[in-house]
Amino acid sequence: MHHAITTDLSQGTARFTVDPSLYPLDAIYGAAYVFIDRCYVFLEKDAQGQVLVSLSPKAPAADAPTLERWAGEFSNELLSCAWRHQLAAENKTLLEQVTSLALGGAMGPPSLDDLANFDFSGQALEDPLGIAMSWEEKYKKKDKKAEVAPAAAPAAGAPAEPPGEKR
Amino acid sequence: MTRLSFDKSLYQGPCVDEAVKVYGRFATFELTEAPQAWVVAVSAADPAREQKICRELSNYALGLTITQRKAGA
Repeated sequence: MHHAITTDLSQGTARFTVDPSLYPLDAIYGAAYVFIDRCYVFLEKDAQGQVLVSLSPKAPAADAPTLERWAGEFSNELLSCAWRHQLAAENKTLLEQVTSLALGGAMGPPSLDDLANFDFSGQALEDPLGIAMSWEEKYKKKDKKAEVAPAAAPAAGAPAEPPGEKR
Repeated sequence: MTRLSFDKSLYQGPCVDEAVKVYGRFATFELTEAPQAWVVAVSAADPAREQKICRELSNYALGLTITQRKAGA
């Protein structure tokens, strides 16, 4: 950032430029908002698209060190706001999800009419491993006839009993 | 007379209008529109008072722009 801070004592103003490609406009606004209670803040844009910030004291007199200190504090606040802006952008999806879950929970349980009108016919999810299968379905007793039949009917051509074991 | 030029990409037009309404009784204002800016010409009897009104008007317009932008986000 080209951060030339110039102080104009005749006007009692500290002026410096901020590169909007490094600091988003929201961060510039955030830093400006912190300062508008203690000094006059004016924003301009120069021909290169850089934002020119002017800080003027509300009290009549402000010496050069005070003006430079304000400019420095503004720069720190600018950095803080830019970082918060970046964090907010990164966590935007998560915040929206948590908020929608909280709002959904606050709506309360569904009414009986809602449940009566709910469509249970659709397949909720695919279950290739059979995890969602009920206990009864998975471990139900198999038909005895179906189990016995293969053992009772020997394969065609095979002897019913092993030879030599006849009594 | 002091001319204040509020860049359109930094200040919202309705916020500048609102600020002029608020400070309208302290000075004479003339609003015009340039391609890139809202221009406000401020005239007051006393130069020091005129400068103070200009700065207060700018602060008010900026604060309003920031809060309006937050509310609209």
